[in-house]
Amino acid sequence: MSASPSYGARPWTFYVLATLFTLFVIFLYGPMISVLVLSFQGPSGSLVFPLREPSLMWFQELFSPRRTGDVAGAFGRSLPLALLVMLMTVLISVTAGFAFRRRFRGSTVIFYMAIASLIVPGLVLSIGTLVTFRYLGLSASWITSGLGAHLSWALPFGLLIMFAVLGRLNPAYEEAAYDLGASRWRTVKDVVVPIVFPGMIAVALFGFTLSYDEFPRSWLTVGTKNTLPLEIWTMTTNVTSPALYALGTVTTIVSFLVIALALSAILLIQRRRSTGK
Amino acid sequence: MTTTQGSGDIRLVDVSKQFGSSYAVKNVNLTIPHGSYCCLLGPSGCGKTTILRMIAGHETPSAGEIFIGDQMVVGKRPVERGTAMMFQSYALFPHLSILDNVAFYLKMRDVGKTERRERAREMLARVQLEHLKDRMPAQLSGGQQQRVALARSLITNPKVLLLDEPLSALDEFLRLKMREELKRLQNDLGITFVHVTHTQPEAIALADMVVVMDTGRIDQADTANMIFNEPETPYVARFMGGQNVLSGTVASRAADLVRVRAASGALYEARPDKAAKVPAEGAPVSLAVRRDRIALSPRAEGGPVVNAVSGVVEATEYQGTYVKVTIATEDGSIFVANVSDDAYFASPVDTGDAVTARFRPEHLHFLSKVDTGAAGDPYLDAH
Repeated sequence: MSASPSYGARPWTFYVLATLFTLFVIFLYGPMISVLVLSFQGPSGSLVFPLREPSLMWFQELFSPRRTGDVAGAFGRSLPLALLVMLMTVLISVTAGFAFRRRFRGSTVIFYMAIASLIVPGLVLSIGTLVTFRYLGLSASWITSGLGAHLSWALPFGLLIMFAVLGRLNPAYEEAAYDLGASRWRTVKDVVVPIVFPGMIAVALFGFTLSYDEFPRSWLTVGTKNTLPLEIWTMTTNVTSPALYALGTVTTIVSFLVIALALSAILLIQRRRSTGK
Repeated sequence: MTTTQGSGDIRLVDVSKQFGSSYAVKNVNLTIPHGSYCCLLGPSGCGKTTILRMIAGHETPSAGEIFIGDQMVVGKRPVERGTAMMFQSYALFPHLSILDNVAFYLKMRDVGKTERRERAREMLARVQLEHLKDRMPAQLSGGQQQRVALARSLITNPKVLLLDEPLSALDEFLRLKMREELKRLQNDLGITFVHVTHTQPEAIALADMVVVMDTGRIDQADTANMIFNEPETPYVARFMGGQNVLSGTVASRAADLVRVRAASGALYEARPDKAAKVPAEGAPVSLAVRRDRIALSPRAEGGPVVNAVSGVVEATEYQGTYVKVTIATEDGSIFVANVSDDAYFASPVDTGDAVTARFRPEHLHFLSKVDTGAAGDPYLDAH
């Protein structure tokens, strides 16, 4: 085979699929762009297009609690919660991944039990968590029941990713380290973790975004104080100003920042490996 | 490089390794002398890699003892054993530069950065790769990666270097080149090399001692020359690829001439050397004759012929210096003659020709085991 083969003119299916893809892109980015643009609405503008006298007033409005609800407070809960979920997901997924490299008695059952929470509807889980907490005489709070509910969602993803990453890890690396006199701990620290680090970043990313965005599992489990997605939802029912859009823009930017940070970390590692410095 | 301390001879005493209910290695006894180049040779699944890994300490024997020098090493860590292993995939750490890969052992011993890098540089110079010290493993060719793996193993100053199919990932040209380098390196270092391979020419070319294995046990451990010329069992004779195996019962035995009658009625006359163990009259026996010690002629008609096998040419294969002629014999087995190109082209034979293959009494070699036929011997038809 030389260059890529040519099959003559494009068939009609190409145009059908191209149209489909264009629609997909519009549906994906259209709303985001609309919200982004309208968040700069001026004082005389409304909730809909057109954009009049662009300003930053709704961003200022956003951080004055008396008008729009407790956005800053909600962010102050969502961020640490997402970071905590991220940290725990990475820690548990990686260690569980190591355990599952060796088949042990009942490992399949445990695996399916861990994965099963992916198919339990989020709202049901939310109700169930609240009921259980009430029964135990505990009060729901974002840092206890909320954290648990979020982990039930983020952990299975983390586990699946880590199983795939560690499944591809050649055991010869660890044997080579052992052969060269490395202790268990140094094998993990100096060989295994650096090799699977990109996978760990992927797990961290999932842990963070799944928690930061989570609505159904937060609904009844965060107690009296809202996380950000709940706060936005509340606002849609009682705030009728472009402050809502400003909030959408800010949260999207935070998500993008986290993703960009993670991706650049992966790229940096890959570049170091391919260029040698 | 400092000189190695202690003897690197390896002794396996009644070593077995069980995985579940099946034995990968069963009751193996083997002594590999210090400073020798030993090849463990056998088809995949014969247990050769398991033996290597047990010597290395990456596998624990289910039973038996392993000694390196006068030290019982079962349960000891590789570094305490004085072994170093080179992995089939090389297992170079992808996140470390070549220099840091080689320096890894020193890092684990908490040698300071400057010193360990200096020593790693010296070791890289030894394998002529100093100029690549800052590259990452993925940027190196297969041959270069292998040399880095060698350097990384040798920096541990081992008494024994264990190599798991070290040449199998290389192309033919590099394989021959690295084969020479390995042999030279072993000569220079004077330490024991144990090299696992499934390639006969590799073992013959490299080894002072060839250990031929078959499903968990050792069939023969000897010099390459002995393995090739005087195989003990039909399996070894066939596996090494250069021999035809004939079977029959001893019809008569005198001091210098033994007659063997085959089931087909053919008569073989052999002149055993003094060491050969010739069974009693009437006992079954197997003989081997080298493929290149056979003369071909058109099918002989008439009376009984001694030391001859008749059949029809099934295939001819030109090999440059010789022609491999495969003959389907009258009793349904396969007989191979490697005829020198001069002899072949003087009187060529073609597929379908009826021929007789002859051999001389002194070229028949007695095997210590009787051929049991095809059952369990995948090399019976591997011609």
